[in-house]
Amino acid sequence: MTADTSVRATRRSARKTRSAAGKAVLVVLLLAFTLFPAFWMLSSAFDAKAGTGGQQLLPREFTFDNFAYVLTEGGFDVFLRNSAIVALVTVLASAVLALLASVAVARFRFTFRTAMLLMILIVQMVPLEALVIPLFVQVRDLGMLNTLLGLMVVYVALSLPFGIWMLRGFVAAVPVELEEAAYIDGASWGRMFRSVLLPLVMPGLVATSVFSFITAWNEFIFAMTLLGGASENYTVAIGLKQFFGEHSNEWGYIMAASTIITIPVMIFFVIVQRRLSSGLVAGAVKG
Amino acid sequence: MTNTLQAPPVAQGTSAPRAAGGPGRTKNLLTRTRPWLLLAPALAVLAVLLLWPLVRVFLFSLQDYGLREIVSGEPNWIGLANFGEIFTSPELYTVVLPNTVGFAVLAVAGTVAFGTAVAVLMASLGPFWRTVVGSAIMIAWAMPAVTGTYVWVWIFDADRGIFNETLQALGLQDEPVNWFTNRYTFYAIVLLNVIHHGFPFVAITILAGLLGVPKEMLEAAEMDGAGPWRRFWRIIVPNLKQVFAVVIILSTIWDFKVFAQVYLMPGGAGSNREALNLGVWSYVESFGQNRYGFGSAIAVLLTLVLLGITVVYVRTMLKEDEL
Repeated sequence: MTADTSVRATRRSARKTRSAAGKAVLVVLLLAFTLFPAFWMLSSAFDAKAGTGGQQLLPREFTFDNFAYVLTEGGFDVFLRNSAIVALVTVLASAVLALLASVAVARFRFTFRTAMLLMILIVQMVPLEALVIPLFVQVRDLGMLNTLLGLMVVYVALSLPFGIWMLRGFVAAVPVELEEAAYIDGASWGRMFRSVLLPLVMPGLVATSVFSFITAWNEFIFAMTLLGGASENYTVAIGLKQFFGEHSNEWGYIMAASTIITIPVMIFFVIVQRRLSSGLVAGAVKG
Repeated sequence: MTNTLQAPPVAQGTSAPRAAGGPGRTKNLLTRTRPWLLLAPALAVLAVLLLWPLVRVFLFSLQDYGLREIVSGEPNWIGLANFGEIFTSPELYTVVLPNTVGFAVLAVAGTVAFGTAVAVLMASLGPFWRTVVGSAIMIAWAMPAVTGTYVWVWIFDADRGIFNETLQALGLQDEPVNWFTNRYTFYAIVLLNVIHHGFPFVAITILAGLLGVPKEMLEAAEMDGAGPWRRFWRIIVPNLKQVFAVVIILSTIWDFKVFAQVYLMPGGAGSNREALNLGVWSYVESFGQNRYGFGSAIAVLLTLVLLGITVVYVRTMLKEDEL
């Protein structure tokens, strides 16, 4: 090895260590920024003295009292039940409607098919602020203000376009040969749908359902507008408001309630991420 | 809808859908109507709950629609007077437009730049650390907008928030500062909140694209002496043009209609007029002042802006993939 190349090699390895150290610093900073809000929420939720000032990074007095209060006197037992009912109905109704519609757009060629897809794509972009005024009037005319039913109907509509759009990809990914094989075996369309298409589209259906669950669980404008007066029908997203006082806010309670709201969403998020990347019809068609 | 929208699955089996109508040709009528039978329930819901309301918000925008009209159902047409009032309102130009457009520009630039930087960092990490960082940003992504906003409000709380307390402990300020009363610090917090919530989508999408860039191209460029900066702009960016376009347009759509992140902040629900953006202005005029017609007119403007951006988005998508 000549002197020249060895100098270059040490220089390169020095640069490597420096870049590795730089990368480590960046990763630490990134993790701190990304995780701090969630960490701070948890830390405050478990702190008996949250909101009294002088809070440290870790709770000074570890407690479950904030959660206990929120779930009993705070009324979150009722709000959680309301949200669960609304989300469940939304998920089931929009899954059925979206599945049927997505089979139509993915498997059939018909007039207006492209127009239909464009409409579905465009409708997703409409701001909720524009829909909330006419839907408020409509729901009011139907006498469904302050009821969970009015809210569910709206949420089904809100989660449908995205559901159709996403499921369409999953349906298209199922090889047509499998359907044709079912017909050759004498199956009717209905039988083919139940025994061939449905099982193969299941992962997609789960992912789509999780997304409509998250929509219904997190939604805020419509819940606030349509349930305005009836606090016994509040969903979790608007139930938080009542811990905000005129002069002081109960931060321990707010953060405990926020934790309760956030955890199901995070669990479901992890599920979808894995489902979406898992091999869709791996092994269904053998070479 | 904001946090559930995602780039539609790219490049699913792009083979054109075949007319797999069903067995035999005797049931021709059933075969031909089947797609419409399958579509009917969903279309009915969409028509009644999305399309009809969209028509109605436009009709409301041409009326003086208040509590009286809601109760009586009698229309009170006033033509374009609502729009005239919007465009002659000084508030539009000094407060609402800067808060909407200026904010969207900053938020999109910040989210895309930061998300891309994170994607590049993640691409250079080993599998273990990539998983760790990926899980962490998943947590930021999954945080609902409502609870996320409350956490930021708590962090920057005037009396007891950790931000003020830290600044005071460091001796950087003597008295607690209320960051929510000043328009610029108010929107700086909204910006932080929106970037924190929005960058994971950008990072994950760009990372997927980055991993698809042929290694040989990058290595060849490195052999030719191109530094990392140059490699990024000359090879990665042109290769990922489509991905960047989709990410930028989707972020623009989301950041234009930021609502909960503003409305839930102290003063954001209309009491601080300086903090209004288009969406909040429309909501506050409608449900705060019972001026549903005027609020609808604002909402129509917001919708038109978003529709314009959406048209660009659809064009980009169509280039990439057959529907």
